[in-house]
Amino acid sequence: MDAFKVLEIKKSVYEGNDGRARELRSELKRDGVFLLNLMSSPGSGKTTTVVRTIEALGAEMRIGILEADLDSDVDARTVSRTGARVIQLHSGGMCHLDAEMTRQGLSGLGTEGLDFVILENIGNLICTAEFDTGASRNAMILSVPEGDDKPLKYPAMFAMVDVLLVNKIDAMGFFDFDMEALRERVARLNPDARVIPVSAKTGEGMAEWADWIRTEVKEWRAS
Amino acid sequence: MHELGVVIDVVHTVEEFARKNGVTRIDTLVLQIGELSSMIPKYIEDCFPAAVDGTVMADTKLRIEVLPGNGLCGKCAKAFNILANEGACPACGGRDWEILSGKEFMIKEILAC
Ligand SMILES: Nc1nc2c(ncn2[C@@H]2O[C@H](COP(=O)(O)OP(=O)(O)OP(=O)(O)O)[C@@H](O)[C@H]2O)c(=O)[nH]1
Ligand SMILES: [Mg+2]
Ligand SMILES: [Zn+2]
Repeated sequence: MDAFKVLEIKKSVYEGNDGRARELRSELKRDGVFLLNLMSSPGSGKTTTVVRTIEALGAEMRIGILEADLDSDVDARTVSRTGARVIQLHSGGMCHLDAEMTRQGLSGLGTEGLDFVILENIGNLICTAEFDTGASRNAMILSVPEGDDKPLKYPAMFAMVDVLLVNKIDAMGFFDFDMEALRERVARLNPDARVIPVSAKTGEGMAEWADWIRTEVKEWRAS
Repeated sequence: MHELGVVIDVVHTVEEFARKNGVTRIDTLVLQIGELSSMIPKYIEDCFPAAVDGTVMADTKLRIEVLPGNGLCGKCAKAFNILANEGACPACGGRDWEILSGKEFMIKEILAC
């Protein structure tokens, strides 16, 4: 009979991805490409915000967009109308992107000559938070119709982001969304996160968002 | 479903560990998954056979240990199980808590020779 022995491994499954993400992050730093990972539930306004961001910053930064989706290429077509360089990634049924898929997307896009890339992640608040993509900064959009209780339900996501856009504030009158309660909940999970109320539809708050990006890019370049 | 890609990663890691440690046969692989992780044990079990197919782990059994999802109440500092209490502190009813444990996804050990 075989005598089995116990061999302890004690390794986090995410370790491999975390390592690849760190590598990608430092290569992007070397190449001067600031990568922003944009996450949200389906339909919170990622694509609309991407288009607005290109409008606000396109004159001062060379922007590229990675559109990740399970299947379609609708978002990439919408974004390509702005004239920005864009590529559609299909995740092949995976509900999140990891560092390797992000690397492949970046090489498909071609980062030469770019200084700012936005990754529109797959619409999902759960596992996108668990996989480091190698991004320089992480942003999340919560839209008003989703409710102010989401930090209680998806704490991992709120705890890891650098900035939270609260989108669709033009629709605030139709929902009982308590902005102060939301700010408090976010602050508990993540005291450093910046919260910016915006409407990607009317453009309200977009100047503050663009300023946040400018400041972060500057800080990142100096670091 | 996002488990398959991750399980394939796990298999690679274990294969490499086995190679480095001169292990020839792996009887059982033990994983630990936190209750608050987005990885569902049932799905991990379902895709495990596909992930080990054609590898040295083709006959390896899988055992999953679930780690509790505990939170620390922000109001009264009590530690409690988040799922069992449906997200509310059993002492004060507070819903603002900090996660203490439960997001882990670990390769714990192997039974091998
Ligand atoms: N009222 C209002 N509608 C908005 C706003 N931003 C986006 N929308 C609408 O919300 C819908 C979804 O917006 P998208 O930008 O496609 O959202 P998304 O997050 O990219 O969606 P997925 O990629 O499918 O996850 C569209 O009908 C937008 O016109 C906003 O600020 N206010
Ligand atoms: Mg979109
Ligand atoms: Zn309490």
